[in-house]
Amino acid sequence: MTKLSITINGRAHGPTDVRDDLSMNDFLREYLGMTGTKFGCGAAQCLSCAVIIDNPDGTSFTSPTCVVSAVSFDGKAIRTVEGHAKNGELTTLQKAFIEHFSFQCGYCTAGFLNEGQVLLERLAKTPVARADLEKTIAEALDGHICRCTGYIKYHEAVRDVILADSKRYLVANQ
Amino acid sequence: MRPSRREFLKWVSASGITLSLSRLGAAKAAVLPPRAQLPGRGGWNPAANGAGRIDGVAKVTGAKLYASDFRASDLPGWPQNTSHAILVRAPDATHVYTGMDLARLSGALKPSVVVTAADLDKIGTRVPAFYAGDLFCPVGKTPIYMGQPVALLIFETFDAFDRARLALRDGTFVTFGEETGPVAMPDYGAYRFTRVAGATPDALDVYSPILAGWVSPGRSQMSPLPVWSPLAKETPALYSKAAAHGEKIRGELAAKNPNLLMLDREFETQSVDPMFLEPEAGLAWYSGKDESLELVLGVQSPYDAADAIAHMLGKARAPFKPARINAQFTYLGGGFGGRDHTPFVLYVALAAMFFPNHPVRLAHDRYQQFQAGIKRHAFKMRSRIGVDRATGKMLAFAADHVLDGGGLANLSGQVATVAATAAIGIYDIPKVDVTTVALHSRGVTAGSMRCYGTLQSMTALEVLVDEVATALPLDPIEFRRRNLLKPNGRTMAGNTYSVSVRTPEILDKLEKHPIWQQRAQQKSAARPGTLVGTGVACVTKDYGTGADCSLARVELSAEGRITIYCDHVEMGNGIGTALANRVAIYLGAVADEVSVARIDSYDVLGLVTSGDSYTMDQKTQDKAEKDPRWVPAISSATSASIGAHVGTHSAAEAARVIFRFGLWPAALELWSIAANDPRAKDWAKAQWKDGHLMMSGLAPLPLPLLAAKAHARNLVTGAVAHGFSRWEWSRARFPINGEQYRAEIDALAVRKGNAAFARIDRVSVRFPPTVNNQSGNTYTSACGALVRVEIERATGALRIGNAYTVFECGRALVPEVVLGQAQGGFAMAVGYALLETLPPFEGGPGNGQWNLGQYLVARGSDLPLRDLELELLPPLTPDEPPKGIAEVVMIPVVPAILNAIFDATGHRFQSLPVTANLLKGVLA
Repeated sequence: MTKLSITINGRAHGPTDVRDDLSMNDFLREYLGMTGTKFGCGAAQCLSCAVIIDNPDGTSFTSPTCVVSAVSFDGKAIRTVEGHAKNGELTTLQKAFIEHFSFQCGYCTAGFLNEGQVLLERLAKTPVARADLEKTIAEALDGHICRCTGYIKYHEAVRDVILADSKRYLVANQ
Repeated sequence: MRPSRREFLKWVSASGITLSLSRLGAAKAAVLPPRAQLPGRGGWNPAANGAGRIDGVAKVTGAKLYASDFRASDLPGWPQNTSHAILVRAPDATHVYTGMDLARLSGALKPSVVVTAADLDKIGTRVPAFYAGDLFCPVGKTPIYMGQPVALLIFETFDAFDRARLALRDGTFVTFGEETGPVAMPDYGAYRFTRVAGATPDALDVYSPILAGWVSPGRSQMSPLPVWSPLAKETPALYSKAAAHGEKIRGELAAKNPNLLMLDREFETQSVDPMFLEPEAGLAWYSGKDESLELVLGVQSPYDAADAIAHMLGKARAPFKPARINAQFTYLGGGFGGRDHTPFVLYVALAAMFFPNHPVRLAHDRYQQFQAGIKRHAFKMRSRIGVDRATGKMLAFAADHVLDGGGLANLSGQVATVAATAAIGIYDIPKVDVTTVALHSRGVTAGSMRCYGTLQSMTALEVLVDEVATALPLDPIEFRRRNLLKPNGRTMAGNTYSVSVRTPEILDKLEKHPIWQQRAQQKSAARPGTLVGTGVACVTKDYGTGADCSLARVELSAEGRITIYCDHVEMGNGIGTALANRVAIYLGAVADEVSVARIDSYDVLGLVTSGDSYTMDQKTQDKAEKDPRWVPAISSATSASIGAHVGTHSAAEAARVIFRFGLWPAALELWSIAANDPRAKDWAKAQWKDGHLMMSGLAPLPLPLLAAKAHARNLVTGAVAHGFSRWEWSRARFPINGEQYRAEIDALAVRKGNAAFARIDRVSVRFPPTVNNQSGNTYTSACGALVRVEIERATGALRIGNAYTVFECGRALVPEVVLGQAQGGFAMAVGYALLETLPPFEGGPGNGQWNLGQYLVARGSDLPLRDLELELLPPLTPDEPPKGIAEVVMIPVVPAILNAIFDATGHRFQSLPVTANLLKGVLA
């Protein structure tokens, strides 16, 4: 057993004793009841289980949780799908996913939402040229599997959020 | 006789178990999984403007919606702790199963309960006929299929379960002895569909299934295969007639005839997994004190799931027979047919019964889902086609289909017949003979996965048609046009379609599209080292099963709030949003609350059923329908593209009743129009606009005002309706307010003001005739596709450059959902054509070692995300009924890809998938 302290959606959890071989996915779903993070394949291939890890330097990245132990998240701050909306107000990306009918069954949505959000935050810090936007979105989202939609409406939603605030996300004068 | 999709085992009377669904209603204030609470029209509700799904907010905020999300602590009245079960399966089906070595589960890892075949024998469970086969393989027997369960291991705590599953991961603790080879079992169904048209298009058929009935061959004890010959001693007389015509057609195709182009080809398709993202899961709790079995399940067929569980436990000895079963059904993380009639639910129930007073969760991981989840059938097909060289007209077609049904029958018989009756696609061929047989094998069970049967048979057909066009030679689209079935023409079953047939329009669209027009130019402009090709295909696909039900309840509050309950299931298909939009046509506003997968909200109808709606004769139906509560079937699985057409039907009819007998008379009063005023009959002229009821020259009336008036005057404010479709809807008359109201439903209850719902017995009914069971499908939707591919010579890597699909769906209830399904169908087609495959037996998924990584599905980078053009044809009339399209949009993409590969490489592949390695091989 190892002590786990973690911040999830801005709220501190722990220290909690957890088994060394307990997956982060099971910690979230079975011990905290946070089932918004899904279990899809258990092999880090579909990324429906992905969460956002926020680094102390202000950067963020996504990580699968199904093949990663809970204890490896000790001391980290993460965000899950449950933490995007604040006081009932959806984020721009959440609204865009709805307005674009981006998902159907919705089981992959948490993973796409986290990945898309990380991309937006990265572009806000490091904008890209308009000409590179499609490639940037495609590379960001390609690790995620969706079996219902054919991906197009996820890409459209992310693209529209970026283009609607191009000064923020794209290199100027492009 | 056609195979039944469902077995309505009359468990209520036979078992004494009550399917006590009313309690669900009492618990509704708490967390009902399938309930979508909408933000209301005052809040941010994009669905109200048609810009979003009704389940949108829940899905982007991670709300608990799916069966895999729920634990006991989420459910009011349940104990707080959840126990967990492992369903152990046999990875071998050629050796005798000798037991399990659980020595590695010692101490805290020891399961609290182990359930085996011997335990089921002791308590007296019954296997529902639909799932015939041992629920657990007994020790001493060879498993009848790879992945057959051998035991349930139940652990009180998650920690013990989690450690145990890691310890058992390699599967070697399931032990086997003597090699026996696979277990031989009877086939799941064999049929022959033969049609000989009359001399002219208007003449009666000489022979057809709709005239003569569906026929099956005899069987010999000497062979596992049916006896197809018309002359064998085992041959039934009815079959003999079909076979005689069929053999004559085959003789004509085999004859040396220089005027006839005859091609004889074999085509094979592979087994694939639906790969819905949420592995199957369920939660159950048997309360010994109350003798009540509580279930939370996620399936496409809720009614049948509850039915099967009740049957299984109906004769069990105490204390293993619940007095009542309460089932709650959730949203699905994908379905695609893989959750239609899944046996998984039986094991969820067993886990609870063997660990009473403990809520138990059973959930597949992905390895287990590959090992046991329902698959798409692998097909072997041989097709022969004869075409008049002078006219380019198809004269005769014969085919033989062999399906690998895997370990359990499931819906294999239905898949076989659907594939066979789709074997000539969009064409008019006067002489057709198709045999089909679905075989048992030791592979994983196959079932009714998206486009079941038709994907296989129409892919083979459209590839063959392309080859014929090349051989004649004729332009592929012109060849298709010459042979199109006319709108009033007869299908190979001998029936006509009862809906629009828009294939001529679709072929025109395909022909004029730049992808087709510029195909030669693009081919010649291929980059060095690459080959470019363009392919076309066009298909039509049934929606519905020939015995489909629709159940709904619609309520309008005094404040104008609309609530809809429906028995169909949300698996991503947007049924909840479609319901809301279809009801809005009559009530003027999108619903405030939609509750799907509900089979508990229609008790007031008091429906009863008997017999099998697929096989009953007319006399039986005529007699049964005299009971005003009788219907041929009560509830259907959400499958076969029936969401829009069937799933929303009764909600629309219920809303129409509320409008006609609630809001309309309320409006008349508010407009001060007397009952004898001619305008009082003008309800059809009224229109909704921006939430107001509009009539020329009269003040617009907002819905809340109308609703308040309807409640104040005790007018109709709610309705419950049931409809049944056997390729046409049931129709009945109901006395309402002194009027004989006619509608395409067969059962109705209404609420006046705030009173309780009260059933209105129908005074006459016309159920669709039972002869329709001999029909092929009469509801059909068409789709065409163009695909351009670019293939690297050196590596065989294939890229889809651009693509176009054009299709029709009648009135699109939610156009964005329709387009999304078409995009998803395209992606699934690309996976099926180029990537996905499962070996059938040893080395295949039944060994429990398969996962993504080995099994490749289409990712974004495999698709032309910016170069896929979809065209949805507008409805022929504004009120054209919605048509199902979730399946047809996938089908033509597969043969179009294969035809494009031929155009690029000159090689015609006759099996799937066409991988980069195979392409590299033919280009070497």
